[in-house]
Amino acid sequence: MASRIHRTLLLAVFLCGLQSLCGRVAQADEMQEVFFEKRVRPILVEHCQACHGSKKQEAALRLDSASALKKGGDSGAVVVPGDPENSPLIHAVRYAEATRMPPKGKLPDASIQILTTWVKQGAYWPADPVGNPIEQKPDWQEVTRKHWAFQPVPEVPVPEFKKPEWVKDSIDAFIRVRLNAAKIEPNPPADRRTLIRRATFDLHGLPPTPAEVAAFEADSSDDAFATVVNRLLDSPRYGERWARHWLDVARYSDTRGYVRLRDNPNYHFAWTYRDYVIRAFNEDLPYDQFILQQLAADQLPHDDDPRSLAAMGFLTLGQRFINSQHDIIDDRIDVVSRGLLGLSVACARCHDHKFDPIPTRDYYGLHGIFSSSLEPFDLPVIATQPELTRYLDYIRELQQRTAQYQQFLETHRQKFELSFRNRIAEYLLAGQKEEVQANFLAVMFLVDLTKDLNPVTTQRWARLLEQTRKHHHPVLAPWNGLAALATTAGDEFATQAQELIATWQRSPQADRPMNPLVLQKLKESSLKNLEDVARGYGELFQQADEKWQAALKADSSVKELEGKDWEELRQLLYGPQAPSVVALDEIDEFFFVDASMQNQFHEQQRKIEDWLASANAAPHAHVLVDSRKPRDSHIFLRGNASNPGPAAARQFLAALSRESQRPFETGSGRLELARAITDRNNPLTARVFVNRIWMHHFGAGLVRTPSDFGLRGEPPTHPELLDHLARQFMDEGWSLKKLHRHVMLSSTYQQSSAEKPAAVRIQDPENRLLSRMSRRRLDWESLRDSLLAVSGEIDLTMGGRSVTITTQPYSRRRSVYGFVDRQNLPGIFRTFDFATPETSNPQRHQTTVPQQALFLLNSPFLKQQTLHLAVLPELTSIEPLDQRIDAVHRRLFGRPAQPTEIELATRFLTAQPDTKPEVNPANPSQYLTPWEEYLQALLLSNEFAFVD
Amino acid sequence: MGFGLVGLEALAGKALAAEGVAANPLAPKQPHFAPRAQRVVHLFMNGGPSAVDSFDEKPALTKYHGRTLPTSQRTERKTGTAMKSPFRFRNYGNSGLSISDMFPHVAQHADDLCVIRSMYADVPNHEPSFMLMNCGDARQARPSLGSWVTYGLGTENQNLPGFIAMCPGGFPTMAGQNWRSAFLPGAYQGTHINTQHTQPEQLIEHLKNDFLRPGRQSEQLALLRELNARHLEQRTGDALLEARIQSFELAYRMQSEATDAFDLSREPADIRAMYGNSVYGQQLLMTRRLLERGVRFIQVWHRAGQPWDAHDAIEANHRGLAGECDQPIAALLADLKQRGMLDSTLVIWGGEFGRTPTVEIPTPGVSSQGLGRDHNHYGFSMWLAGGGVKGGYAHGATDELGWNAVENRVHVHDLHATILHLLGFDHEQLTYRFAGRDFRLTDVHGHVVHDVLA
Repeated sequence: MASRIHRTLLLAVFLCGLQSLCGRVAQADEMQEVFFEKRVRPILVEHCQACHGSKKQEAALRLDSASALKKGGDSGAVVVPGDPENSPLIHAVRYAEATRMPPKGKLPDASIQILTTWVKQGAYWPADPVGNPIEQKPDWQEVTRKHWAFQPVPEVPVPEFKKPEWVKDSIDAFIRVRLNAAKIEPNPPADRRTLIRRATFDLHGLPPTPAEVAAFEADSSDDAFATVVNRLLDSPRYGERWARHWLDVARYSDTRGYVRLRDNPNYHFAWTYRDYVIRAFNEDLPYDQFILQQLAADQLPHDDDPRSLAAMGFLTLGQRFINSQHDIIDDRIDVVSRGLLGLSVACARCHDHKFDPIPTRDYYGLHGIFSSSLEPFDLPVIATQPELTRYLDYIRELQQRTAQYQQFLETHRQKFELSFRNRIAEYLLAGQKEEVQANFLAVMFLVDLTKDLNPVTTQRWARLLEQTRKHHHPVLAPWNGLAALATTAGDEFATQAQELIATWQRSPQADRPMNPLVLQKLKESSLKNLEDVARGYGELFQQADEKWQAALKADSSVKELEGKDWEELRQLLYGPQAPSVVALDEIDEFFFVDASMQNQFHEQQRKIEDWLASANAAPHAHVLVDSRKPRDSHIFLRGNASNPGPAAARQFLAALSRESQRPFETGSGRLELARAITDRNNPLTARVFVNRIWMHHFGAGLVRTPSDFGLRGEPPTHPELLDHLARQFMDEGWSLKKLHRHVMLSSTYQQSSAEKPAAVRIQDPENRLLSRMSRRRLDWESLRDSLLAVSGEIDLTMGGRSVTITTQPYSRRRSVYGFVDRQNLPGIFRTFDFATPETSNPQRHQTTVPQQALFLLNSPFLKQQTLHLAVLPELTSIEPLDQRIDAVHRRLFGRPAQPTEIELATRFLTAQPDTKPEVNPANPSQYLTPWEEYLQALLLSNEFAFVD
Repeated sequence: MGFGLVGLEALAGKALAAEGVAANPLAPKQPHFAPRAQRVVHLFMNGGPSAVDSFDEKPALTKYHGRTLPTSQRTERKTGTAMKSPFRFRNYGNSGLSISDMFPHVAQHADDLCVIRSMYADVPNHEPSFMLMNCGDARQARPSLGSWVTYGLGTENQNLPGFIAMCPGGFPTMAGQNWRSAFLPGAYQGTHINTQHTQPEQLIEHLKNDFLRPGRQSEQLALLRELNARHLEQRTGDALLEARIQSFELAYRMQSEATDAFDLSREPADIRAMYGNSVYGQQLLMTRRLLERGVRFIQVWHRAGQPWDAHDAIEANHRGLAGECDQPIAALLADLKQRGMLDSTLVIWGGEFGRTPTVEIPTPGVSSQGLGRDHNHYGFSMWLAGGGVKGGYAHGATDELGWNAVENRVHVHDLHATILHLLGFDHEQLTYRFAGRDFRLTDVHGHVVHDVLA
């Protein structure tokens, strides 16, 4: 994707000559759109549309679409494009005449100026091809109805094509039709050496061995290439390569990102997810199953092999935002929506999605699913039955430490609750003064130690009071009434308070009942200020608690207090709304803000943490399980958790549900969500995945915004082909390996990468029509693995804990097993465009910077691989020199050396004064010999780093 | 083409690709309008220096010293009564800016300083405040200011990294996240340099080769050039191949150029004396050498962690730290000026927030000498110098006691908008499309503070 700056710049620089007029028009339009979207629309949304929008139309005026603006209101048009001085809207916002808008208060001058400029410049309002998505439901249905990606995947007839010998797979027919229409010839097939190199890098991320190349060249059978592809697909190297592509999408990391000082940043068992993904690819686990397991393995049968539980690392291994729950949930919504559906639902956290039909209620529908899914403290062991016996001691000790910890928590939970109930008067008062905070992060940073109250509890009281100010509560309504008195202390307060209480008692309102016990208690108390009121409440709650304890003593099965009024009070002590109730799964929040308890708490945690991190630990899975009481989330207005709106049912996205959107019924709804995503009728899942696979084979997707299939994404270059592939993929059991075969056995894939004639390059500069194979550069993993492979050093051990690959002594394992530190990703990873593990990654960047060359020129890693390559017996044994040079070319590039290349090498080698190794005086290591210098140069060459 | 540059090539077509520009994300670029500053130094006082002790004089604190203030603010820890500043303030320069004796050398440049006394941030805690100050968002993974700037402007010297983050002896709090590129290409991420070291090869990864005989690398590169030329013969016009060939030439030059840039022994003795011999002084001398060579954005951290976080004994802490950086900062300003570079170099000084005017009450069980100040994000000071800002000027004000920014308040987003403006960008238009959205440094916030512009 280009950014605005790129575009603007390029338009200015490059289009001037070519299509200057067109360029300028485009630019002007774009500038106007930017101005409108960034400056004007926000003002209209924030200040006007509440009364002049889809919900209300004061004066029959709507200010939420181009057509509505044009139409105007009761008194006609409110905007005269180009003429702010004669536009009623401008008069209104200037407060110049009788009609003053917005009525609540004049807009800041800057905003008025923006609106004036906007009208002056013609009141530009972008015409949306499919209606205005910012409007509510009706137009969204329209959007959904028309946008290509939301259409069911149709059955597409394969185009007829006259030269059937070119059509090896249906893919070719779709490609060739477009090429013919553009009058472009495809390239001839690549030669066999190129083909096997391409295929091996594609499927394994490694170069083919000389023997493999020779075997393929010698195979004269018709299905020789199919044999190669099958061999590659059957090798475990395949899963290691393709798992890494998926790990980019899954924003895989071995660490949580930034954590507080005492927390351990590592996910000790992230690798079990990585190994799961590798296995899934190797075993060709159907993609729908793959998704189901990643979202809800806990709810699927897994017999005696619990390893699939590790699949849920897809959800759990994201960044932790210092434990801010809403951000963690947001990250999970994002990885699911962009990763699996190619939709950025996370945009709808604060407002309805600007461009796609994703209302905030859809976001909070998903939010409810994930907030109803918890990470259990004790992660399940996922060893298979036979392996389990190895871990018995480990598990026994773990259970012991866990039990101790649970005991610790339970003891303190009770202490917390007791203290919270006994000090209710203080909390009530503190909660009254406390501002409701948007999230826990803010609470924990706003510790008020002036009193030794627990800020989390204070915050809960603040929240409860805020809610009860909005929604009448019989027990707390008197409090809220008295807290709202204009006078805050003294005799006057006492008088006003008693008057108010008397009024409540005298004339009760049926729809706003007041708890008579509270009123009576307050009436009897001397109330000189709010503190006195709090004290009264405190005493009453104390009585209720005593009654409850007595009732329990008499009958431990008692469910509620006798008498509705007492029960109302008890509910605030023990009921679901009670701020004093501490659940075990949220107790760490209470600990964290309690300076006196923090250390003990962390020490307890560390005992378990250390054991999990110990070398003999059994593999665990980072799972989610449904909470016991799943519940819907409330929409947070403008993304602010302290500003809850209506509840949003836990259900699938409206845009993808068509007429059938209905709330999920089982547990959190996670499994139902997974089933909705993998439903054959879901228009996106198969398309998005097939497109990702295509992208990894061809360097660019059919849709070039692989995680954005929404309205702002790019449309597919070959829509019918995409649909064909998606449909076929589902029909063939969501089998990835079958898909690879279709792609790789096509003529399209097997074309050479030779450059096209100039005319074609101008006509199709990005090779969107695929008249040649795109040349590709090895990514970080393939480059490193290839260096290890050709040097003979590679260690093909599979699985297990992650290893450090960037510091000496260098691990010889494949790069996919390298430790990924989200917080401090090694510089070399970034230098080579590794996918950032901070969020789900659609596609890697591809940059060329000198730091890449420095690594290759100077790093000890390169030196080591060069030296290993130089002493390989299969090379050193070869004499004379020209044959050895030839063997090196075959090993590195999969082809023999040309005579001129042998000549070049010989020239380089014989030009040297002395070939004896020398010692660098400043460094104990040896200098390279000319032969080694030569080998390193080959490893640095473009031919090594690119695949034709 | 790689993600992120697709559209670029799409529009430019082969004309651009053939020049190899497409593959070099750091090629110099023009901003939206004529810039006032071309490069940036951000002197990050990590931990949060106290404004009421340095650049925001509050006589009222002396008046109320030892008394409980009528108004208070919620902060991270418990604070008590007002505490007067242990530092003495004086007026400096023609402008008469009031600065404390914490920064006697910097004070000599009062007429070049634009002190913003009405800064405010969102929360009184280091981690989110570091993120807000550097990346414009307290929690989400967003690119840093330096990354946005190098993305927007590229860099002048391809033989050096465009964005450098210097920190002696380790990482500041939040480590590499402070200079991350997030969803921007990795090339825009800050290159971290541990300035505890002085040898260039310790400063930049893989800068030096220690396994080829002296003089041999150029021979090897000549060979590589020939190999690549042969390879390119059958593949003419592939910009990526050409760019990679180019990158080896650049790398080769970077080895000597970077070595030269970081070699402080090449500076004359008087200049070295001017910066002083401390680690901080060396950092700033290195900074000047790098700026001179066209590095776009340099962030200088005081030390690992958050040294300015003076919860107790603030006088000793601040005097000590200021003692380390005061002279070097003054030297940098003077040196840039004498080279005619100050006008085009924006120098930013400040922490992630400031400190309370009240004394922090020690936490029970934690040893403390007392007389410290807690975090204060409600109002604090930063200063800018050079690069198109008004010198000898104090913008905005906190209340009588230095608790809250009250007059001409400047949020961190506003500061960002202003910095980008000085560099020639409309902060609302320096955007990058990711995850279906056009992201920008200031998100949906930020107003350029026009009053600070010269």
